[in-house]
Amino acid sequence: MNATTSPVNQYFKALQLDETDSSLSQEILENCGVDIERCLECGKCSGGCSNTHIFDFTPRKIVQMIKIGDEKRLLHMDSLWCCVACHLCVDRCPSGIDIPRIMDYLREKAITKGIPATRPTVELFHNLMLDQVHKKGRVSELYLILNYNLKSRQYLKNAELGPQMFFKGKLNPIPARVKKMDQVRRLFRPKPGQKGEAR
Amino acid sequence: MNSPRVITPQERLGTKPEKVFLFRSCTGSMEYPGTESAIKEVLKKLGIEVVMDPDQTCCSGYILTCSGHTPEASLAVTARNLSIVEQRYAGLDMFCFCNGCFGYNTELSHILKHHPAYMKMANEVIGQWGYEYKGQVRIFHVQELYYLLLDEIRAKVVRPLNGLRVASHYGCHYLAQQYGLLDDGDLPTFHEEIFEALGATPVFYKERRMCCGYAVGRGFTHKESVVQPHLGRKLDSAKEEGVELITTTCPGCNVALDREQNNLAARGFGPYNIPVIDLGQLIGLALGVDLDKLGFEANTIPLDGVLERIGLGKGA
Amino acid sequence: MGVHKEQLTLVIGGGAAGIEAARVLGQAGYPVVLVEKSNRLGGVLNQLASSFPRWEDPAQFVEPRVKDFEKCEKVRILLESTVSGCQKVKNGYQVKIDNKGVAEELQVGAVIIATGFELMDLSGYGEYGHGSFANVFNSLEFEAVLKQWAAGNKPEKPPVVAFFKCVGSRDRSKGYPYCSKICCMYTAKQAGLVKDLFPDGRSYVFYMDYRASGKEYEEFVRSVIEDKHVRYVRGRPAKVLPENGRLLIRCEDTLMGVPVEVRADYIVLAAAIRPSQGTAEMAQMFGLKTDAYGFIEPEPFEAVKVQERVFLAGSCGFAVETLGALQQGAAAAAQAIAVLHQAD
Repeated sequence: MNATTSPVNQYFKALQLDETDSSLSQEILENCGVDIERCLECGKCSGGCSNTHIFDFTPRKIVQMIKIGDEKRLLHMDSLWCCVACHLCVDRCPSGIDIPRIMDYLREKAITKGIPATRPTVELFHNLMLDQVHKKGRVSELYLILNYNLKSRQYLKNAELGPQMFFKGKLNPIPARVKKMDQVRRLFRPKPGQKGEAR
Repeated sequence: MNSPRVITPQERLGTKPEKVFLFRSCTGSMEYPGTESAIKEVLKKLGIEVVMDPDQTCCSGYILTCSGHTPEASLAVTARNLSIVEQRYAGLDMFCFCNGCFGYNTELSHILKHHPAYMKMANEVIGQWGYEYKGQVRIFHVQELYYLLLDEIRAKVVRPLNGLRVASHYGCHYLAQQYGLLDDGDLPTFHEEIFEALGATPVFYKERRMCCGYAVGRGFTHKESVVQPHLGRKLDSAKEEGVELITTTCPGCNVALDREQNNLAARGFGPYNIPVIDLGQLIGLALGVDLDKLGFEANTIPLDGVLERIGLGKGA
Repeated sequence: MGVHKEQLTLVIGGGAAGIEAARVLGQAGYPVVLVEKSNRLGGVLNQLASSFPRWEDPAQFVEPRVKDFEKCEKVRILLESTVSGCQKVKNGYQVKIDNKGVAEELQVGAVIIATGFELMDLSGYGEYGHGSFANVFNSLEFEAVLKQWAAGNKPEKPPVVAFFKCVGSRDRSKGYPYCSKICCMYTAKQAGLVKDLFPDGRSYVFYMDYRASGKEYEEFVRSVIEDKHVRYVRGRPAKVLPENGRLLIRCEDTLMGVPVEVRADYIVLAAAIRPSQGTAEMAQMFGLKTDAYGFIEPEPFEAVKVQERVFLAGSCGFAVETLGALQQGAAAAAQAIAVLHQAD
């Protein structure tokens, strides 16, 4: 009986620590300049996190998962799309580990790999926002909201707020526009929303 | 600072007893009647007289673990069994051949002896029928006796086991006792010494310390998906080492490891086909006990191959 | 003043603490008899491959101090000798010394006990297989392995070495509820050394927490983790199983809450530190107060004074690192000098 082919293996799933490698932490170090080996495992990041109540993995665990090279779970996790990048974690981290930077990197990696976001509306919002900047150089809230509500099929979401905001001058029907648009467009290679380099 | 966990059989048992009280096991009598008769025959060959009592009940392990009754009921049951030994067979030591019986009797008698209130309560209950437990009888496992008499066993081997690859399953309820054990709780070797004395080749396998998966019939009550991978993991590692026979010192372990093998094979595990017998049966085999009295017919995985290996095949 | 300097001080134990005490006394002009059971000075330092937190070579410790002894001409070193009896007399002790089998009697004005520690017996830890598996070592045995490797006797393949901390220490069931204090540091040192010797090897340290309270200690452990890339795994290993000639470790990563398995070539157990046999003998001979574990206990608000004219130094009082042993050795010498001055 070869131990590796036994059906027993599908039931016992201890993490094989010696089979994990440090390539992901190396990748994070190279791309984000964040050395996760500095982590003291104290959990101050998770304690301070604004969104830990809806996170499936807290910031401390995310750093641990990088340490054990659990890329699959990292790219599929819900926390990736719930993180609001408030920076409370890195603000409090005694080792200065820039977790939002790691989150950004992982999000980019997930998009590049075509892994669907667990919160599609978040991804949609990101894309629309980038799209506006791409087209006009600046963000126009009215068109962003209209577009978002349309595409996320929440047609009447916050509709009662619209007229109030309009009459108070908060929503400008004429979108702001940057003069040298060619420069802005050249910043986006390739276009947002497309697969490939997101930035 | 703590009292030593491991002691020698001489320290534990003293000298060879002439007569012992054998504590019957429910699972043993029910599933493998050959175990009890084999042990009696082995002890007879070693010149030890065996007595038993028809009034002895379940050790109370099932009463505790099947969650049917309060612990107090278990204490009374234990007190009654032990008082039977004390009153009717004064001076005899009690020997269990099931790790469960040994463990529960040891543990519950410890509780009784160290908590006068419980002792009083238990004695009030059993006093109705004239029993009284005084806390005098000593409780041993029959495997400890084998080890004490290792040299004598070695001298009396008439059917050497021909280098048969035998592996041991010691069982948690013996090894998990905290103090005064014969051997290390994690890497015990005294069964292996016995195997060598019988002419067998002891085999160490990776998961030998792993639980048998019996735990009071949970092999039947739990989903197969819970129990089978557990057993598969253990038997996989035994098979990897080329084990031809596994011995136990607990009928419960024997049930789990033997009875479940066909079901495992039906689910794609193994197949293992490793017979599982009691250590007493193995010693009986080597000491020349009549095959009828060893009762191998009760086993799910037949011992034909093993018997053939030592020259007792059907053709012989 | 000079008259007091004739009184002899007995230093028992020729490890770091005893050597330092003898040196300070000798340099101050006080005659010393240094009794050492083995055939060389240095004690545990002789067994070590390196030291923390400055990676100093322990082999460099003894030699300059022996030169100091020769220079001051006050220290008489008795190797392979033991103290076999003592009697309290006025202003000191009448001690019997077994000097390489020859009995000798000395009158001493002060006694410094520096009998050191030993590692606990690991036979109670069947789950780790020390004594059963060839490549499971206690930490002192592994220092010898490290020395071998450093000398060029390396295994062919870069090894995977797993270090278990708190083996015995902080384990009530084994009777050692205390923290042995120095294991966190020497384990970091050993794990770092393995990575120095084998950049492609792996070191795992299984820990509950690391206690690095000392000058440069925290930085030392962090550098081992961050610069030498030793992998710290939080959790106490539950068992070691043989697997295809290697050792399989099962434990829980308590940070992630998942069971983990690691295969290692070598396992090093940071065993609990307990008072040495000699410590127990000396405590009994001189009638010294000991704590529940047998460590010699100083008087209230005293660092090294155990009783009138008896002082302790080093690990016979409680586990100390080399630096602590040196501090205590010097302190004991200073106190002995003070007491010899008050004589008469």
